[in-house]
Amino acid sequence: MASEYALETRNVNKRFGGVVAANNIDLKIEPGELRCIIGPNGAGKSTLFSLLCGIQRADSGEIYIGGHNVTHMQPYKRVRHGIGLTFQTNRAYQELSVKHNLMVPNPSLAVSKEAHQQGQERLMLALEEFGLDLNDDTLASEIPHHTLQWLEISMVLAGFPDLVLIDEPTAGMSREETDRTVTVLKKLNDSGLTIIVVEHDMHFVKSIAKKVTVLHQGRIFIEGNLDEVVTNEEVKKIYLGHAH
Amino acid sequence: MTSKILHLIGGNADIGTSKTFWIGFVIAVILFALYPTQVSEFRASNASYYLLNIPLALGMALLWGYCGVLSFGHVAYFGIAGYTYGIIAGNMAGNSLGSIAGVLGGLLASAVVAGIFAYFVFYSRVREWIIPILTLVLTLLLETFLGQTAGYQWRVGSVLLGGYNGMTGIPSFQIGSFVFMGNSFYYFCMVIVLACYVGLRMLLNSKFGQVVTAIREDPLRTEVFGYDIRARQWLVFVLSALLAAISGLLYVQWGNYITPSQVGLLSAALPVIWAAVGGRTSLLAVLIATIVLNWVTFTLSSQGNQYAMVIIGTALVITMVFFPRGIVIMIAEWIGKLTNRKNTTVIR
Repeated sequence: MASEYALETRNVNKRFGGVVAANNIDLKIEPGELRCIIGPNGAGKSTLFSLLCGIQRADSGEIYIGGHNVTHMQPYKRVRHGIGLTFQTNRAYQELSVKHNLMVPNPSLAVSKEAHQQGQERLMLALEEFGLDLNDDTLASEIPHHTLQWLEISMVLAGFPDLVLIDEPTAGMSREETDRTVTVLKKLNDSGLTIIVVEHDMHFVKSIAKKVTVLHQGRIFIEGNLDEVVTNEEVKKIYLGHAH
Repeated sequence: MTSKILHLIGGNADIGTSKTFWIGFVIAVILFALYPTQVSEFRASNASYYLLNIPLALGMALLWGYCGVLSFGHVAYFGIAGYTYGIIAGNMAGNSLGSIAGVLGGLLASAVVAGIFAYFVFYSRVREWIIPILTLVLTLLLETFLGQTAGYQWRVGSVLLGGYNGMTGIPSFQIGSFVFMGNSFYYFCMVIVLACYVGLRMLLNSKFGQVVTAIREDPLRTEVFGYDIRARQWLVFVLSALLAAISGLLYVQWGNYITPSQVGLLSAALPVIWAAVGGRTSLLAVLIATIVLNWVTFTLSSQGNQYAMVIIGTALVITMVFFPRGIVIMIAEWIGKLTNRKNTTVIR
């Protein structure tokens, strides 16, 4: 059965030996949504992203991207269904120029002319807001950390995705840099881009999220509007390490 | 169209992008072209040997330097092409199409073996550090096999494989009735080397080349940009095997013989050393190192000096300790800094 969601997982499970990294994950993301996924260390957030992109295979369950069942697809094929990912640890190509970094993603993967145009506009918006230049010959290893984070987000946008998974985009950023990231992600979301963000920084989460999913011990602990979730006593306990 | 081609040739996938560089490049090509007119045919023939190894070395730069996959056994494709040429051209001796059939057969045989080998390596996602071992095993197996082919029973048509003594009497390359020998063979090698160099520069400055370099930097990141990296690694491996095959073909056309030692351990190490000493991430650096190192070994060996390989080994150690990115690249960057050019540092 196909899915009308931008992203849907059905009973996704993943174990690493005795550790349950994903426990019956049922996640539904509407097209154009901006969802934050939060949870303490080891909750399975990054594993979930790996499963969605196919870097790791789920033991069981199904994954749909843009209505397509991608459960058994290699990562590169999933990307062709419009998904983009930034990694938890920045993986811009350090030894290549900014220009080269931005040229690697393949925009021709966007199918329609309209999607191509929209992808181009989103990329240009991000580059302008982040102060990046498509023709910059500077090595990525020579630019500041926060710019490197912005570069990787821009690289993902250069593939013209419909849905982006962003893993801890503001790690190591100052408050101003975080706010700038929030502004850009909001603008991108306003343009119709579906965004899922994993983040620890509650300032970031509060300034960006409408809907939040809390992961704990590999399962969805609670899901709902930002206010409901952050005021939930159980969630507070999880973050303080008291919940079971 | 013309400007697009010039852009592909002149892009910064390799050192040397300035006008001054290209003027120097043209002067160097002219000097190489004039060389046979200034020396004896014997010396020109020796110089052909330095040139004919360049495609193999460029293949190593492409595969190892740009794609991040180290093959320790690319001489296998050198040998397969050489032996196949010997068998086909030898059996068609007297037929003017024999050597062309030999060339096509040699290229095809190398591509098929490389294609099958690379398919299993890349499509089963063998870890990158195991690949050099597998490639070395393949070439040593080939050496062992060829070494036991002495005797009359090991013949294909009228051509004997020859065991450790190797295959002799391999016909030189000819088109129609014109046989490439001496000076003409030197020019033949020069044209092929130029074509390989310019062709590879164009390839590496193209979108395909940019993705190949990205695979070297981070295969997983590149795959999650929507590229089937296995297909690209496979293609690069086969291309580099074809370049090794070109060298193998030129080698047998030059010396008219080939022995199993050409696919042995020492021969397998040499292209890796040429690439490492010059700087594997630059085609030009590898090209220059190949000429210089071959000149050194050939000159020393031909004078009966036993220390040629000791000197080559020392060059490798010095490079690894003091110039890990390659001597020629370091010199190029030093010149780049002197002339205040930014582009030379883009190459890694």
